[in-house]
Amino acid sequence: MSKLSKTRSIEEINEKIRKGDVQVLTAEEMKKLVESSSVEVAFKEVDVVTTGTFGAMCSSGAVINLGHSDPPIKIAHAWMNDVEVCHPGAAVDLFIGATNQSEKQPFEYGGGHVIQDLVAGKEIELRATAYGTDCYPRTQLKTSITKNDLNQFYLLNFRNCYQRYNCAVNTSDETIYTYMSKLLPHLRNATFSGAGELNPLMNDPDYETIGMGTRIFLGGGQGYVIGEGTQHSPKNLNGTLMVKGDAKKMSPEFLQGASFTRYGTTMYVGLGIPIPILNEGLAKKTAIRDSEIITDVVDYSVMRRDRPKLRQVSYRELKSGSITINDKKVRVSSLSSLKMAKKVSQTLKSWIEEGQFFLTSPIERLPTDTVFKPMRQTEIPFVVTVMHPAITCTETEEIRDIAKRIVTQSVNHIVVVDDIGKLKGIVTSWDVTRAMAEGKKGLSDIETHNVFTAKPDEPLEVASKRMAQHNISALPVVDVENKVLGIVTAEDVAELLGR
Amino acid sequence: MARILLRFSEEQVSQPIASQIIIEYKVPMAILSAHMNSKGGEILAEIPDELQEKIVAAFRERGVSVTVPKLIEVDKEKCFSCGSCVALCPVEAIKVAQDCSIEFSKEKCVGSTCSICVDACPAKAIKSIKQNNSEQSNIRKK
Repeated sequence: MSKLSKTRSIEEINEKIRKGDVQVLTAEEMKKLVESSSVEVAFKEVDVVTTGTFGAMCSSGAVINLGHSDPPIKIAHAWMNDVEVCHPGAAVDLFIGATNQSEKQPFEYGGGHVIQDLVAGKEIELRATAYGTDCYPRTQLKTSITKNDLNQFYLLNFRNCYQRYNCAVNTSDETIYTYMSKLLPHLRNATFSGAGELNPLMNDPDYETIGMGTRIFLGGGQGYVIGEGTQHSPKNLNGTLMVKGDAKKMSPEFLQGASFTRYGTTMYVGLGIPIPILNEGLAKKTAIRDSEIITDVVDYSVMRRDRPKLRQVSYRELKSGSITINDKKVRVSSLSSLKMAKKVSQTLKSWIEEGQFFLTSPIERLPTDTVFKPMRQTEIPFVVTVMHPAITCTETEEIRDIAKRIVTQSVNHIVVVDDIGKLKGIVTSWDVTRAMAEGKKGLSDIETHNVFTAKPDEPLEVASKRMAQHNISALPVVDVENKVLGIVTAEDVAELLGR
Repeated sequence: MARILLRFSEEQVSQPIASQIIIEYKVPMAILSAHMNSKGGEILAEIPDELQEKIVAAFRERGVSVTVPKLIEVDKEKCFSCGSCVALCPVEAIKVAQDCSIEFSKEKCVGSTCSICVDACPAKAIKSIKQNNSEQSNIRKK
């Protein structure tokens, strides 16, 4: 390369790898170099920057081919270590999804663990059933297999490597368990995911070098980008990748089954991409710092698609261990492993330096303008669609009168209101029966004051979940001023949602 | 300092056993965590090493179950240093080291009485083991 050249090519870099004089820095080292010198110097000195991430990537899985049994079987249903696996194709092709759970140990062991165990060389129990045909007569199968027995064992992940992700918090009164892990009530903790400035897509946000056919570090082996990932949304910096690689050559250190309590199982995937520094622009882009990467703090206690965003925060703040929300200091934890992300970028660097890994030019660019659309729903039942007028009483009324009203109106719930119709409490037919049995006369002895309510514009699913969670059978529907608008009962839900 | 986990039965919980022992033996006792109600409960306490044997014996004489609690156990093979547990720990016993490894401090951890981190570990690498054997004689010194 001449001194005046402002570009370098992938071919030039691969030639240097062959000769053993390629200059590779990890993303971490590149940022320091640019800060201590300049973009121009960094471009001159550095051929490749290696990135890395190691996080929970639920849309991961593996395609396997078992070979034919004797007599042959056309599998209809199959289980590996009691995890149901999918049979998307012909007789003996299976897909192991990372989030499928063991039928014997749900929330403990799942598809991600099956993949990790296979990669580690462990023996896996396989069970399958079929309806039997003239060409595939077998209907039952039980055997055990290792990765060496498989014809193909490909990791095939349709959404990996999220460019950045939300920071999750919980403003409700109860602990919630999510894919963002355990979130304590009243903003007592926060979690975030992603490697920030080490993330591959953050270092090439315009997809200049990352495209279809890009060779990458995947699960401790070599893999390829085979397209944009599902939900790829590069315009708002939420890009994703679809990747593939030979799982037989991967390592269980970089592919780990995991489980989030009460959410389910998943797989942690180590993924790293070499960014060839083809021009000064790429030198500058790979110098991006955590302080420039911003994400939203999202309240996961709201069970809606569009959850409230409480503020914006940089990855630098997230990695500092605490953030401030509403003047409150909230401690924050990472869910992806920064230690492993660094290890991915360092391992990839050493592979390139040792001539074991060559760079590829993408054969097709990834889209940079797609957006992630919400689902088209022909019907979303809301509380308002099923609520009906509440039968009410006031606190001065006698239990006898309330009992009469339960009978004449044939309801199980009487909502207690004040003079202007604001919610004071609730009384059920069971409360009244108990009062009769125990000889109680006053409404105050049996009335429940701490009432769970619903809002008219809430989805019925959310109200239904609240009833199930608190083991109750109705919710008064109230407006913002706590005035009673009506009532929604478990029967209403059952009628509409069929449960 | 030594840690002891005291378990009180329904009958014992109404008696001032801990305060009697504190007065009688003049033992400075730090209560690290306590979960008590009328049905009984447990106290995790810290006492000076040199008084440990005497104090343990005194509680046992009064029928209180005493164990040297096993603290949180971390399977380092399974832990992949995500850090999910870090912000949950109420006593800051879990820290992110310089190299982004996750470090547990057994000194700070209040052990099985807390356990808030256990079900937050995606690698299921954290276990809290309760010891129920009050007759256990091999009281370990720190």
